[in-house]
Amino acid sequence: MNVGPILRAMKQNRTRVALIILEIAMTLAIVTNCVNVIIAERAKINRPSGFDDDNILWMHTRPFSPEFREDAAIDRAIQADLLTLRGIPGVKAAANTHFRLWEGGGSSTQVKAVGTTQTPRSTQVYRATTDIFNTLGVHIIEGRGFQPGEDTDSQPHVVVISRTVADAAFPDGHAVGKSLTQARDDGTPLREPFTVVGVFDTFFNPFGMNPDSWEGKADRAIFLPALVGSYERGIDYLIRCEPGAIPAVMAEAEKRLLASNAGRIVEFQPTPEKKTRWFATEWLTVLVMTGLIVALIFVTGLGILGITALSVSERTKQIGTRRALGATRSDILRHFLMENWLTTTAGIVIGIAGTYALNFLLVAKVTDVKMPWQLVAMGVVLLWINGLVATLPPALRATNVPPSIATRSV
Amino acid sequence: MLTYHLKTAVTSLRRNPILTALLIGAIALGVCVATSFVTLRHLYTQDPLPGKSDKVFYVQLDSWGKASSYSDDDPEKLPDQITYRDARGLMRSPIPARQTATYITSYFVFPDPKVARPFQANVRLAFADFFDMFNVPFEYGGPWTKASDAKPEPVAVIDHDTNEKVFRGEDSVGRTIRIGERDFRVVGVLRPWRPAIRPFELNRDPAGPPEPVYIPFNFTEPLEIWTNGNTSGWAGEDVKTHQDFLNSERVWIQYWVELPDRAAQESYNDWLDGYIGDQKKLGRFTRPIKHTITTIPAIIEREKFIPQSVRTMSIVSLLFLAVCSVNLIGILLGKFLARIPEVSVRRALGASRAQVFWQHVVECELIGLAGGLIGIGASFLLLKVLGKFVPSGEVLHLDGEMLLVATLLSLVSGLVAGVYPAWRVCSVPPAMQLKVQ
Repeated sequence: MNVGPILRAMKQNRTRVALIILEIAMTLAIVTNCVNVIIAERAKINRPSGFDDDNILWMHTRPFSPEFREDAAIDRAIQADLLTLRGIPGVKAAANTHFRLWEGGGSSTQVKAVGTTQTPRSTQVYRATTDIFNTLGVHIIEGRGFQPGEDTDSQPHVVVISRTVADAAFPDGHAVGKSLTQARDDGTPLREPFTVVGVFDTFFNPFGMNPDSWEGKADRAIFLPALVGSYERGIDYLIRCEPGAIPAVMAEAEKRLLASNAGRIVEFQPTPEKKTRWFATEWLTVLVMTGLIVALIFVTGLGILGITALSVSERTKQIGTRRALGATRSDILRHFLMENWLTTTAGIVIGIAGTYALNFLLVAKVTDVKMPWQLVAMGVVLLWINGLVATLPPALRATNVPPSIATRSV
Repeated sequence: MLTYHLKTAVTSLRRNPILTALLIGAIALGVCVATSFVTLRHLYTQDPLPGKSDKVFYVQLDSWGKASSYSDDDPEKLPDQITYRDARGLMRSPIPARQTATYITSYFVFPDPKVARPFQANVRLAFADFFDMFNVPFEYGGPWTKASDAKPEPVAVIDHDTNEKVFRGEDSVGRTIRIGERDFRVVGVLRPWRPAIRPFELNRDPAGPPEPVYIPFNFTEPLEIWTNGNTSGWAGEDVKTHQDFLNSERVWIQYWVELPDRAAQESYNDWLDGYIGDQKKLGRFTRPIKHTITTIPAIIEREKFIPQSVRTMSIVSLLFLAVCSVNLIGILLGKFLARIPEVSVRRALGASRAQVFWQHVVECELIGLAGGLIGIGASFLLLKVLGKFVPSGEVLHLDGEMLLVATLLSLVSGLVAGVYPAWRVCSVPPAMQLKVQ
């Protein structure tokens, strides 16, 4: 196909060509960056936590009647409450723990393998009753979870640790049976060491509001068997429910617990709600960016359609002349499609540069510039299709211009 | 002349209502999106403490152990809070115009049983200076006195909602409220108050609501109050009693000073040097002398409270508006150029180039304003939806400043769309078109 006449025709319509190029370039730059952001945000939302997030309920009870001032009364209450909770229809498992999911916090310590010169490394640490692993839904991949009775010992002797902690503390594998200790900065151990009895897989709980602070902490955890509660801080439980049973369990649990002792308040937070709240800005970003992409493609398509339609109607006479001189309908169609393709491609070339420029502007730090080429390639294809679709209606109209129009004056 | 331009513009816009609707719709969409996300960003970037952001400072001291720094990743980072001992020590400085140590705990509040069941409330402990330092607004009464700090006297400041719950919204100053096991006398009731960022709680959930109850800091020792916030330590002391906790090297207290000018800031830094020097003699502060005082905006920046995506969305939304306007250039160009015969007649009849130019610019600005008006209306709705997703969303709204920005955005986008087509149409020589016709 002869490109010469097309280029000359484009030269005659410089403004319009420039406008389409500008629109395409801006659209490509924005769309690819939006998709890039969507991918990043979705990765954050979909990162597996290792917990049965959809079905876990957090319950807080805080006593105000004086009988709870004694530790023994708290311990008795915990054991009675756990029995009550397990008896509620729809409850799969329940544990008493101060671990709260998806709040961006928790408690932490530093640990090292006993008898080594390791620098102690940070990890989350939680105390919990026997059923905690079943309640969370984390998988024990080595050894065992807690055994009944271990959680009522006055001092915990055993510990169950995450794979990440096990890999760091016992690099030669086989953590089970070895000893782990909490340690000071200089490596001197704190308190009696614990025997590792089990290792669990995937664990992710954001630690700190600032993602920088998650590094080396969010996916590391150890659990110690204990009853956890006090008059001042109350008693917390995690309850794993059957799918869809959270509302029913909430109503029933409050009723039964207040019936056993009304000198306290009971509060609930379903984990799905907490997780949605934790990821609220991520969800919002995904929604907004998706909406913007759709609107942007639509607006740009409409713009190209308008400009091409205008250029067809202005060139009616030239089209007629070409038809009279022997050009077929498909020649005319090809002319406009080719013209548009050239324009779109020029826009795409500038747009690719714009994509990286915008990415640079958005991430604020040079080291964060990340724009996979596959994404840019997809944007390019998308805009080619968009350009084609937007050009087709006016171009088809151009093929209907009769050759006889050339013989008429304006 | 402007009224004449307006009249011709309206006539011209009426001639092709579908096209006009399309033009206005595009601007409206762009303005709605841009206004909403610029407003969202404004929510977090506005001055958190108007007029005082450069005078109020957060104090950090390097009280960490010798073996390793507070943060593994960044050795320059100082502990985020200070110890109880240091809070006591810093309170002795005469330099700050105002100063307070503060932390939060949680207590049961016991209303009259006829009014409500006991409820749990976050309680902030602070010194009297806290309220003036952070411009806390009062509905009834005011802060407690320094004398109440010193003793301490059982006085409390409660917020509007607590006053509604416990005292049915009456002026409760002088009445008694039972917090935990003690009766406190209410000295002040806050106005409804919900800043987008709580400037005084930058360690935990800065976008949360302010605490409902405030009591004097010096109750920490007599009532053996434990913090409800974060605690970190390095020394691994065995903390059994509350006194152990107070004597420990654990950091759990936030410390704020108000230093009105440079001189005060410098002499306070010198004073901190001296303070740490004295502590070194007691065997504490084994690391090199280091302390910082940081303004609230600097902390917000440093701790990255503002989600990156908020910035991204505001930039992308402005670009979206730009694309909308650029799209209009082509359409307006077609519309205006189709009018060339008419324009050249007007030019031949004596209309100046400038007049033709302005007439068309006015037409575009009319489109811009109409689109802007609809866009602003729509962004009221969009902001309501956005508010459900973001921290502090309940205070997200279009204020005067943002309305002005929105109007400006619509005018600029009208101009961007229209200036080139208007220039093209006015530069047509009058005679040529007449000749052809």
